[in-house]
Amino acid sequence: MKDPYEVLGVSRTASDSEIKTAYRELVKKYHPDNYANNPLADLASEKMKEVNEAYDAITRSRGSQSGSYQSSGSYQGSSGYQYSYRGGNSNGSYAQVRAYINANQLDAADSLLNTAPNRDGEWYFLKGTIAYRRGWLDEARQHYQTACAMVPSNYEYQNALRSVQGGYTPYRQTNYQRSDMDDACNLCNTLLCLNCLCGGCR
Amino acid sequence: MFGYVRPRRDLLEQGGFDAYRHAYCGLCRALGKMYGFRARFLVNYDMTFLYLLRASVRCPGEAAPCWCPARVCGRKSCTLDSQGFAPVTACTVILSYEKLRDNIRDESFLRSLPYRLLFRLFRRAYRKAARAYPDFAALCEEQLSALHGLEENASPSIDATADTFARIVSGCVGDIQDSNLRRPMEQVLYHTGRFLYLADALDDLKEDCEKDAYNPLRYRFFPSDGALSSEDLTYLTELTDSSVNLAGAALSLLPVRAYGKLLENIVFLGLPSVFCAVKAGKFQAKESLWQKKKTINDHTGEKR
Repeated sequence: MKDPYEVLGVSRTASDSEIKTAYRELVKKYHPDNYANNPLADLASEKMKEVNEAYDAITRSRGSQSGSYQSSGSYQGSSGYQYSYRGGNSNGSYAQVRAYINANQLDAADSLLNTAPNRDGEWYFLKGTIAYRRGWLDEARQHYQTACAMVPSNYEYQNALRSVQGGYTPYRQTNYQRSDMDDACNLCNTLLCLNCLCGGCR
Repeated sequence: MFGYVRPRRDLLEQGGFDAYRHAYCGLCRALGKMYGFRARFLVNYDMTFLYLLRASVRCPGEAAPCWCPARVCGRKSCTLDSQGFAPVTACTVILSYEKLRDNIRDESFLRSLPYRLLFRLFRRAYRKAARAYPDFAALCEEQLSALHGLEENASPSIDATADTFARIVSGCVGDIQDSNLRRPMEQVLYHTGRFLYLADALDDLKEDCEKDAYNPLRYRFFPSDGALSSEDLTYLTELTDSSVNLAGAALSLLPVRAYGKLLENIVFLGLPSVFCAVKAGKFQAKESLWQKKKTINDHTGEKR
């Protein structure tokens, strides 16, 4: 097993709070949501496991009570990036298509999907997911848009669409956010302060 | 000698920019050592990024003073890492040679004469590089042939055309055996290559419309007067931002030992800044990174 301090990127003399901060940063970085539909989701999951184990090892050795998110179940499991089809279609091929996608067998998934008799919202969503995994983002976006238009209430489709619209961004260190984001936040803060000054916070 | 994939110098620490300069000079020196003096002219920012990415997971070489043909007196510090530079120099030579072949194919006989001359001058270097990395040379030929097919059919798919180039760029790490390193690197390079292709297409759009030449954006968005509408431009920016995000997410999975901040600067800051400048029509691919200290405004693409 790797040195847990090295995994978290902290020195052996780091305080408990420093270790916790480093751990939280890494959890944020490798969170399954950042790698939804991503062909590297399996590597991110491994990293997450490694970070959780390192944190648990350090807290155990220091006799601390706090455990990793894994022990509480928050970041364990596969719901964030593994597909499990709950609907049904006439030939049951969608479940098989999702299985192929999870196994990164995109050509097989695409071939099977093309044989499906009906083109409903799920069909377009899966088509978009295959394109997204290939890095074909224009095609993925168009398919996701069609899926959302056909089934507007589906959150899975909406999240997928957000991932290619730039509204949902994977992990980016705060230092690397664009300055226009800072400007927007500053504007919000200014308006909030102004509102309070004008008696809006009563 | 230049390129799109460059750091935001104004947002780099002094040490970070020195490391970048040493790697660039090291690549130039390695090209000269392995493929002859004339190969030094092929050094560019894009391939420096490739070296930084590959070297980030191992211990990079030390910087040492070296002779530089661009400096009349004195020496320049450059990274010495012959093992690390070997695949990067080969990729540089192969890609440059294929680019010349592409130019010869696209231009008339008279206009292509300078390219034909350079093509002959770099033939020996290409053969040496292709012998050392035959899989990459074959991949380049195969994907460029696919790209020509798409161009001839005036493909409206920006994904399909960008994919051919992105596959070539991601093939630059195809020789790495460890899949835990190769897969994230391939993703970083795939999306960087895709970004490069789209940025270059946008940069050339007006000229291609005037010449009635193929450009995937022409057939995807049907621009009027060689310019995309603001909605289409926003759409394209969101697509390139998604590529930057995916490249960044893949970069986070690498066990980086060196050049971490520098690589993050290039991916998260350099690429979006370059795209802003291209959108504003103010990007100059041949602008030197070394002398000018002007920065690019994130909103307007203007230099300040």
